[in-house]
Amino acid sequence: MSDYVYDLKTAPNRQVTLPITVPLPSLKTYRAEQATAAKAEEAKFQKATADFETAKAKAEVAGTELPKPPVKAAPKREVHDLVTPIPSEAKDPDLLRLVERLGEGAEEAFEQSGELVCQVAKERILEALILCREDAALRYEMLSDETATHFPASSSFAFSVVYHLTSLSRAKRLRLRILIPAGFEPESATQAYPAANWLEREVFDMLGIRFQNHPDLVRILCPDDWEDYPLRKEYPVTGWGQRDIDFRDDRSGRLERLAMEKAGNTGINLKVPKAE
Amino acid sequence: MFDETEYMEINMGPQHPSTHGVLRLKLKLNGETVVECRPIIGYLHRGVEKICENKTFFQGQIWTDRLDYCSAVSNNLGWAEAVEKLFGITVPRRALYLRTLLTELNRLASHLIWLATHALDIGAMTVFLYTFRERELIMDMFEAFCGARLTTTAFRIGGLYQDLPPGFEAMVRAFLAKFPACLDEYETLLTENRIWKKRTVGVAKLSAEDAIALGVTGPVLRAAGVAYDIRKAFPYAAYRELDFEVPTRTEADTYARYLVRMEEMRQSCRLVAQCLDGLPEGPIMAKLPKVLRSEVNEIYHPTEAPKGELGYYLVGEKGSLNPYRFHVRAPGFANLQALPKMVEGGLVADIIAAIGTLDVVLGEIDR
Amino acid sequence: MSQKNCPTALEQILITTRVEKVMNWSRATSVWPMTFGLACCAIEMMAAGASRYDFDRFGAGIFRATPRQSDLMIVAGTVTYKMAPIIKQLYEQMPDPKWVIAMGSCAISGGPFDSYHTIQGVDKVVPVDVYITGCPPRPEALIQGFLKLQDKIMSSSLADKYKEIFEGLPR
Ligand code: SF4
Repeated sequence: MSDYVYDLKTAPNRQVTLPITVPLPSLKTYRAEQATAAKAEEAKFQKATADFETAKAKAEVAGTELPKPPVKAAPKREVHDLVTPIPSEAKDPDLLRLVERLGEGAEEAFEQSGELVCQVAKERILEALILCREDAALRYEMLSDETATHFPASSSFAFSVVYHLTSLSRAKRLRLRILIPAGFEPESATQAYPAANWLEREVFDMLGIRFQNHPDLVRILCPDDWEDYPLRKEYPVTGWGQRDIDFRDDRSGRLERLAMEKAGNTGINLKVPKAE
Repeated sequence: MFDETEYMEINMGPQHPSTHGVLRLKLKLNGETVVECRPIIGYLHRGVEKICENKTFFQGQIWTDRLDYCSAVSNNLGWAEAVEKLFGITVPRRALYLRTLLTELNRLASHLIWLATHALDIGAMTVFLYTFRERELIMDMFEAFCGARLTTTAFRIGGLYQDLPPGFEAMVRAFLAKFPACLDEYETLLTENRIWKKRTVGVAKLSAEDAIALGVTGPVLRAAGVAYDIRKAFPYAAYRELDFEVPTRTEADTYARYLVRMEEMRQSCRLVAQCLDGLPEGPIMAKLPKVLRSEVNEIYHPTEAPKGELGYYLVGEKGSLNPYRFHVRAPGFANLQALPKMVEGGLVADIIAAIGTLDVVLGEIDR
Repeated sequence: MSQKNCPTALEQILITTRVEKVMNWSRATSVWPMTFGLACCAIEMMAAGASRYDFDRFGAGIFRATPRQSDLMIVAGTVTYKMAPIIKQLYEQMPDPKWVIAMGSCAISGGPFDSYHTIQGVDKVVPVDVYITGCPPRPEALIQGFLKLQDKIMSSSLADKYKEIFEGLPR
C-alpha cells in the first residue's frame, strides 16, 4: 500500500503482524454471525441426538446401562458485572429521520452501547453532514471528532472514517461512518464544519487519506518530510529508524545524509519508490 | 508611493517562555497588529495512539496520564470509562464516587496551574507562588492515595485498586476548609486589579457561533454563554447524583474565562464535599473475568476534562487483548484551532493572554 | 591599630585559594537555568521552582527565557524527532561553560514512549552531565540532581575546560 520499499530482512525487530479480522461493528454482520452460530449449534444437537439414538439401541440390545440423552446448552449466566453490548435495531427518531432523508445513501443504521451509528455511502458524506447540521429535527451543531481506522484484512475497503457529531441544544450524539477503498478521496467536511480542518489534516498525517476540497491538507503532527503513515497497521511501532539518528554528529547540515544512511542501515529505502 | 505594505513575519516558539511547552506560532505582523497567525504543532508528538494499540487495555492507562499531564486523573477516568463502555461493565457506586472525588481534586490542581501560568505570562508573579502553595496540598493527597504526584494511573478497569488510605478524608476536609479563603486571596490579587483588567477585558474574543463551529469546548465555550458541560449534558461517573452549577458568562473574552474558571473551582470544592458526605458503602471493584477479551465494538466516550471535551474513541477486535484502534479527541487540539480566530486583528502582546486563556497543554494536543 | 596585630588582621581578611576554585565556586552557586519545558516533567520543574521547594536556595532560581543568558539546560520531557534539531540549536546558542541535566526517564532513554517519533534519550542530541531518574522525578530528586551538578562543577578543572573548548575533545 505504501510507496516505499522496506527490506524487512535487515530490520527483523521491525516486523509487524497484520490483523486477520475486520473488527467493524455492524448489525448485519452480527445477525449473520448469530444465524450461523445458531445453525451450527442446531446441527450439533441433531448429530448428538442421532448418536444418542444409535447408542441407546445398542445399549438395549446389550442390556447395559442407558446413555444420557443430550440436552441443549442453556445460555451462559453472567457471573460478573459484564454484559457485552450488542448491536440492536435503530429505534432512535434521529436515526430513522436520517435514513428517511438519505434514502439509498444510508447503508446501515443501528445502535450499540447506547450510541447511534449511521453508515453512509462514501460519495454522499458531505450531504449527510450538511443534513445533520441543517435539518430542523436533527440540529447537530458541533463536530466533536473525526478519525479513521485502517483495515488491511478487508477486501472491499481499506479505511473507515468516522465523524462524531454533537447536538448541544438537544444533548445528543451521533456517529456517521463511511467505508473507503485505498486511494479514494472523500469530500472534506470543512464546508459543513470548520472544526474538521485540523482533524482531517491529522487523519491525512496519520493514515494517508486525502480529502477533496480541503483548504490546507499538509502534515500536522509529523514533520513535513516524514515518510509513510504511522497509524497504518503495517507500520511498526518503532518506526523506520528516524528516531535512531544521532543528532550530535550533525554540526553543519549533514543531518539529511545521516538520516539516509541510518535509514539504509535499518532497512528502509527512503529515496527509491517501489517499481511497479 | 507606499501603497504596497510589507508585513513582518516572525516566529514564536517552540522554545518560548509563554507558549506552555513546545507550541510554535508563525506570525505575520503589520506593526503591532497580527495579520495572520498559524500554529505549528507536533513538537511533542510521541505516538501515544500507536503505542496504546499495541498494549493491553490494562496497560494503556499509563499513557493517558501523560496526555494532559496537568490533569492525569481526568484522563484516567476517561480511559477507564471508555474501556468499561466498550466491554459493558457496570462499576459499583462507591467506586464512582471515589473517582468523582479524585477527578474534581484534579480539576482544582489543573486550574491552579492554569491560573499560575496565565498570571505569570501576563506579569503577575505572586499568583504563581500562591497557587503552587495550594497545589502542593492536592499533590500530597494524590501521593497518599497512589504514591505518585503527577502521573497517577489512579483507576483500574472496573473500579479502583484500593480504597482511600486512612487519614485521607481528614486531609481533604482540612483542605476544603482552607481553600475558599485562598481563592478569595487570588481574587483580591487579580479580579479588580487594573493591570489585569487592562490585559484581559475584551482581549481574544471568540463568539459562541465561532466556538461551536470550531469545536471549542470547556470554559472557553462557557465564557461565550453556552452552558454546555458534559457532566450535565451526558452525565457519567457520579455526576448524575451530585448537585452543582455550570457557571457561564456572556462576554466571551479572556476576563470572562478567568471568572468562569474561578467559579468552577468553587463548584469543584462543592462537588468534593458532596462526594465525601455521600460516599456510599460497598465494593470498589466490579466482578470481572480474569482476562478481558474484547468483542467487536466501537465506542466514543466523552468526559469533561478541565480543558473541555476529552473523548476516547476505541475499536475492539474480537478476542483481542488490546484495542484495535485508539484515538484521543483532545480538548486542547480543538481549542488551539480557534487561536488564529482569537488573535488575528489584535495586538501581538495579546497572543500571550490568548494562549494562557486557552490553557493549552501540548502533551494532549500532539499526543 | 598596633604594629604587632597586623598579621592577624591580615589573616582575618585574606584567604588564599586557587583561581580555579573561586571560579568554580562562583559558577556553581549562580547557575541560571533556561526556561525550557518539554512535557510533564516541566510541571515538576515548575513545582521545584515554586513555593514549597524553592530552587532559589541553591542559586538556580533565575529561569532565563533565552539560551544566551543561561548556563544550564534542564531537558524536562520527551524529545521528539521534530524537536531534536531545535534542542541542538538551543544548546549551541548557550555560552560556555554550559551544562545539561536530563530530567526524567524520557530525557534519559525515551521512557515509556518506545515509538517512531521519540528520540530514545536526549544524549543522542546534546551531551548530558547529570541524569535524574523518575517519571516524573520528584522536585527533591531534581534538587539532588542539581546538587550533584554543583559537585561536578566544583571538581572541574580549567585545564580540562580548555582542552574541551579548543581541542574539541568530546565530553
Ligand atoms: S519522564 Fe515521565 S513525566 Fe517526564 S516527560 Fe517523560 S513521561 Fe512525562
